[in-house]
Order: sequence, then C-alpha cells, then structure tokens
Amino acid sequence: MSDQTSVAHELSYARVFDAPRELVFRCMIEPEHLTHFWGPIGVRTPLENIAVDPRPGGVFETVMVNDADGSQYMMRAVYVEVVEPERLVWTEALSGVTTTSTLVDLGDGRTEVRIRQTNVPEAFRSPEAQAGFSTSLDRFAAYLRQLSGDSER
Amino acid sequence: MLGEDQLDATFTALADPTRRAILARLAKGDAAVNELATPFDISPPAISKHLKVLERCGLISRTRHAQFRICHLEQEAFDAAVSWIEENRRIWTERFDKLDEHLRDIQRTPSRRRKGKANE
Repeated sequence: MSDQTSVAHELSYARVFDAPRELVFRCMIEPEHLTHFWGPIGVRTPLENIAVDPRPGGVFETVMVNDADGSQYMMRAVYVEVVEPERLVWTEALSGVTTTSTLVDLGDGRTEVRIRQTNVPEAFRSPEAQAGFSTSLDRFAAYLRQLSGDSER
Repeated sequence: MLGEDQLDATFTALADPTRRAILARLAKGDAAVNELATPFDISPPAISKHLKVLERCGLISRTRHAQFRICHLEQEAFDAAVSWIEENRRIWTERFDKLDEHLRDIQRTPSRRRKGKANE
C-alpha cells in the first residue's frame, strides 16, 4: 500500500498503555485525570483550566501554563463524536485541526490509543507558521528518522 | 500565502521517502535535475514526477539555466511544515509519556481509582 494515503494531510501517533480501555478513556475526558498528563514536559494544565463536556457539540478547552515563564497556551475545541469507551473526536476552533482518538482493547488488559489529526493544513496559517522558522539539517535528519521510524502501517 | 490545496499537498509530498531524500539533498544547496536523479535508482521521468509534486506544493521551485533545470528548496514553506509536525509530535509523545506514568500511578493504588469513579 502506498504510504501517501496514510500521511497525506494528516498525522498519526499510537501508544500502547498497560491499562484497561475504560480507564484510559476516562483519563481522556475527566479533568481530574487530564490535569496529570495533558501538558507536555515543562507545561502544566491546572485543574481549573480544563473544561470538558464530552458529548457532540460540547466543549473541550484547556489552558496550559509554561512552568518556566508562565506563558499560556489555550486550546478551544468542540467534540464532534464521543463513543465511550472507544472513540473521541474533537475539532479545534482556531486551526480547524480535527483530532480523532481511537482506543483499541488489545484483549490482555492493555489499550492502544491511536491519535489521528486531519485538516492539519489550516494550522500553517498561524502567525508563527507564516513568520517562518529556522531549521537545520540536523533537525531535518531527526525528523526524517522519526517519520520513517513510526509511520503507520 | 499558500492555498489550502497546496498545503494538503505538502503532507502528500513529505510522505514519500524519495521525495524526502530529494528535499534533504536540496537542503544542502540547489541542484540540477540530472544531479538529483543520480543517487536514486529510478528513471529520469520518475524523478521528474516527484519534482512536480514538490513544486506544486511550494516546497521547491525550478528555474532554467541554459539547458539545465535547477531545483531550489523553498525554505520557508519547508520549515513551516517541518516545525509544525515536529512540535505536534513532541507534544503527543510527552503527553503519552505522562499518561503512561499517570495510569501506572492510579492502578498502583486501587483505592484511589475507585474513589475517582465515585466522584462522578
């Protein structure tokens, strides 16, 4: 199969967690859980900064706070689909990026979470993207390794 | 500004290993089409097809010098695509790392897990 179709204007990530699907699903929709993992390294998401209304049309909003300088990153999204415990789809208001989370019960107490992002191109219209970034060959090489290392089959 | 179709095409362009290799070569400097074809075991028409894809989405441009067509990496479009992808990938990787840790934590202490459920 051509890998063009799988990566064209979308991005995919997957991870297997050693936990039952119901629990993983709850982690993804309950602020009490989200606050523990939603922010990447060096960024936290205080409980009061998380609004979740897990039903189609309901909000999914977070304000992440950078530990180092206190700068904030707001994400405003609306749920498109909520199918407990297997599927969550939300669309970010500003960028139009749609994120689909699929939870697969592996049958041995583990759960695979697959994240797929579509309609990504809109994100390029952000001011940061338009201002242009500097990149180096090293970064590109690292990027290529990642891309070829875990492209979805 | 790039149109949406063009931006969609950027991802298609980056999805192909040969095209990524072409971009890696062009990141070192401009090159003629025949120069680009040399390291790859594919026909000139096939290379030409890849170049067309890259050109259409704005990642490269081609100009004519005498009988040579010179390819040039459009750094800004390329950097924007790579930066967005890298950043997004980093966020999800770190988020998953933390989720993994969190799931271990809550499953290590069954009482807390039950309490979480009762909170509903």
